Amino acid sequence: MRVCLHGLVILAALVAFGSPVTVNAQSMAHCRAKAELLDLGAPLPIARKSVAERKYLKILALGSSSTAGYGVSNPAFAYPTQLWRGLEKALPGVDIDLVNRGMGGQDIEEMAARMRVEMQSNLPSLVIWQTGTNAAIRHMPLDTFESTLRAGIRLGKSLGADFVLMNLQYVPAVVAAQDKEAYEQAMARVAKELDAGLFRRYDIMRSWYDDGMPYAQFVQLDGLHLNDFGQKCIGQLLTKSILRALTGP
Amino acid sequence: MANASSGRDIRLDLFRGLALWFIFLDHIPTNVMSWLTVRNYGFSDATEIFVFISGYTAVIAYSRMMQRDGWIRASSRIYRRVWQLYVAHILLFVAFSAQVAWVSIARDTPALIEEMELLGFGDNPYQAILEAALLRFRPVNLDVLPLYIVLLAAFPFVLPAVVRWPLGVIAVSVGLYAATCHFNWNLAAYPDGKVWFFNPMAWQVVFHVGAACAVLGPRLAWLDRFRWPLTALAVVYLLFALFIALSWQYNPLQRQVPMWINKLLYPIDKTNIDILRFTHFLAIAWLVRVAIPQSASILKWAIWGPLRRCGEQSLLIFCLGTFLALSGQVTVSHFEDSIVSQVVVSITGILIMCLAAYIAAWFKDGGPSSSAGIPRAAGALT
Repeated sequence: MRVCLHGLVILAALVAFGSPVTVNAQSMAHCRAKAELLDLGAPLPIARKSVAERKYLKILALGSSSTAGYGVSNPAFAYPTQLWRGLEKALPGVDIDLVNRGMGGQDIEEMAARMRVEMQSNLPSLVIWQTGTNAAIRHMPLDTFESTLRAGIRLGKSLGADFVLMNLQYVPAVVAAQDKEAYEQAMARVAKELDAGLFRRYDIMRSWYDDGMPYAQFVQLDGLHLNDFGQKCIGQLLTKSILRALTGP
Repeated sequence: MANASSGRDIRLDLFRGLALWFIFLDHIPTNVMSWLTVRNYGFSDATEIFVFISGYTAVIAYSRMMQRDGWIRASSRIYRRVWQLYVAHILLFVAFSAQVAWVSIARDTPALIEEMELLGFGDNPYQAILEAALLRFRPVNLDVLPLYIVLLAAFPFVLPAVVRWPLGVIAVSVGLYAATCHFNWNLAAYPDGKVWFFNPMAWQVVFHVGAACAVLGPRLAWLDRFRWPLTALAVVYLLFALFIALSWQYNPLQRQVPMWINKLLYPIDKTNIDILRFTHFLAIAWLVRVAIPQSASILKWAIWGPLRRCGEQSLLIFCLGTFLALSGQVTVSHFEDSIVSQVVVSITGILIMCLAAYIAAWFKDGGPSSSAGIPRAAGALT
């Protein structure tokens, strides 16, 4: 055991003198976004009504790996659970129900295909649809992407729910994709056309990076998925956006 | 097979011990001590080391048994080991859940919900238990043992082939890996829509290349005629990976990386072990082989004792490390991620792992009842 202790003293010394300058403070103090980036750009009348009249809000989180919480150290850090906790805290007396239907790796066609089943088995007032990233890194034809998105929202709205689209994440794998901004713009276009909310994850995360936050702070080492901090922060900012739409003027 | 008879290769235990320490340190989410592990300096991490050495030692442990006692005997020994791994995994699952439950009960409500999420029991705890028994449901960080169980369960069918045609096995294994990545194959997990975090059909390539290297043994010396070019290549590649890894920490460096390189690099998939990760590991392994030969006197230094002991008792130490990493996570978050708590938790955890390894070795040597001391069996390698 003596030898073991010696080894550990050496280890500790290495940490003290050898650790790089930045320590990834996972502190939420770094979690921020400009107010205009948090504007969803559309009211959420059905969700609002449900909160006001029934003191109840059912949310369906539909998406791929971000929604499923791939690679986070605790599933509770994934943005849907953060949203649920944030709303529960901010809206006392309102019963918030969140159904997480994120499936890692799915593209928009697979999600649109299960839209009816997911909605009918859960009947939400609000759907968060996180998509775009897999389409961009797999170079899905842009018009297919846009028409699938439009059809999916039309179907979902006809079943009686508000929509909030969450667009691409700003991470090395997406930044390296050729037309990522075209997918982002397509989502903005469809959201405007169909009166759906748009949570501008891409611009929010881009502003982190432009403000000097290194990728290691918010991205996993695979260069694609959000890490604990990224997920928690996106969840908290999404909570702010949705609260503003639910309780604002 | 000469490798198996030419005495125990200390490097295997030593680096497996190191990998186990790394896995423990990396499994504490906010841990400044994880700067000591490989993962922040390139593409690969301790998982590759652990899986590669597991494949290597599987050949050493079972190939001679197969020659001596036949295939059936060796296979039943492998399945006995698979059973031990399974039992260990289930025990770890129970211990892990119990720890979460204990923390939840001791804490306030929001924390309780968070911890229950960590367990992932969700709406249907009974089904979750069933799925855990089927290895389809694994709470965070319990992904490595199921991978190892699947790889070892297939090993009786690989073993006769790999001792005869190691290069053929490498070819088939790489073929399966390529097909898996191309067709996006994986095994289903629980809840619905989830897949295995460590895809066995992709990660088998690390295990089987390790197994083939053990068979090739001295024949790998053939590579020494390219010693310098290979070494130079490995160094250049590791420096490149280091540069990329540092670019994740410093945006000015990130902006130096040309876009076409980023396009080639990302994403660096872990589930299907991206080729960048695997080649990064192979480059490290090559440099270790060049720098530290099996006979190197540095390997005999007493200071490596704790690492070797941990490497020898790999199953126990792996399970203990996973359990302690959860305790560490809870402790560190209790102290609001303070750096001191991270360092103290890391050192305490490694001390406990060392202590357990020494106690286990003491039991294996005969324990309290034997004064003569029974020499340890070499078959206890895997």
